Amino acid sequence: MLQAVFGGMLGAAVLFGLITGQGEKVFQGFLQGAGDGVQTAFSLCASLSVFGGLMGILQGCGAEKGLMRMLKKPLNRLLGKMPEEALGYVAMNLSANMLGLGNAATPAGIKAAKILAEGERASNALCMFLVINTSSVQLLPATVISMRAVMGAANPEAVILPGLLSTAFSTAVGILLCKWMEKRR
Amino acid sequence: MILCVFVLLCLGMGAWKKAPVYDLFTGGARDGLQTAVQILPSLIAMLGAIRALEASGLTGALCDFLAPYTEKIGLPSGLLPLMFLRPVSGSAALAALEEVMTAYGPDSREALLGGVMMGSSETVFYTVAVYLSAAGVKQTRYILPCALAACAAGYAGALLFC
Repeated sequence: MLQAVFGGMLGAAVLFGLITGQGEKVFQGFLQGAGDGVQTAFSLCASLSVFGGLMGILQGCGAEKGLMRMLKKPLNRLLGKMPEEALGYVAMNLSANMLGLGNAATPAGIKAAKILAEGERASNALCMFLVINTSSVQLLPATVISMRAVMGAANPEAVILPGLLSTAFSTAVGILLCKWMEKRR
Repeated sequence: MILCVFVLLCLGMGAWKKAPVYDLFTGGARDGLQTAVQILPSLIAMLGAIRALEASGLTGALCDFLAPYTEKIGLPSGLLPLMFLRPVSGSAALAALEEVMTAYGPDSREALLGGVMMGSSETVFYTVAVYLSAAGVKQTRYILPCALAACAAGYAGALLFC
């Protein structure tokens, strides 16, 4: 997938550049972009560390466990009957994702997927879990705020409120569509 | 403002739970730093490819071609690369967001829209592939259509709430 995206973008750029006679500019752009990539990543180091540190405090104070407890009941209703163990992993995955702790979320999500799979077929519960997960549940978009700060935006946190609203909207749409598909079959 | 309140919340919780806030902060900062270093090579690759595409004139031509249609729904055509790359790769989307902010300015409405779109969606294809291949699931049923629709709803939400 990534191979095709990267190869496709670069290949299309080179071909189109050659056709329109902008060959040198294309490679220059490639190098410039690479340089900007280095600069951006280095500038992001500070900001991402600060957010990571604050999230670390929250996690250490048990925020993840608190979220897990809050999530269990509504999840049980949304995903239907499932083993207690699976519910725990689903709640763990989603609460870690809400706090933006991607590295902590993945192992729990994989364990949940293994329990919820019906052989090679995705169960209704697994479908719902993955749709909720991929609809984005992150409460504080740390990377975007960091990126805005790095680029010199006057108000980097302006994304927080509209972001929360549209995250809630996208998750609601995902859940409703999933329920509808469940009933259709 | 919100971020200051957030810091206060973290410190308050730490004081309430009598947690070692300094150790927790540095531990979390290590994770954040690791993320920044981890995305360095992919950011080089993706921002390089996006800038090359931009320099070749293809991005501009495609965006100009689609602009009359997207502007009918109030969508600036410069956001299209970000919207297409977001479900595929996080660092490609981050590179596209950088491109949007460079082109329109970091304080523009376009930059805000792009940021909200990025924050309210996920790397759908990647996440689904990782979880399902680990669980050995082959019949994905309606997961991808629903997940992509939710992603589109996030984009629509950004247009609505910005």
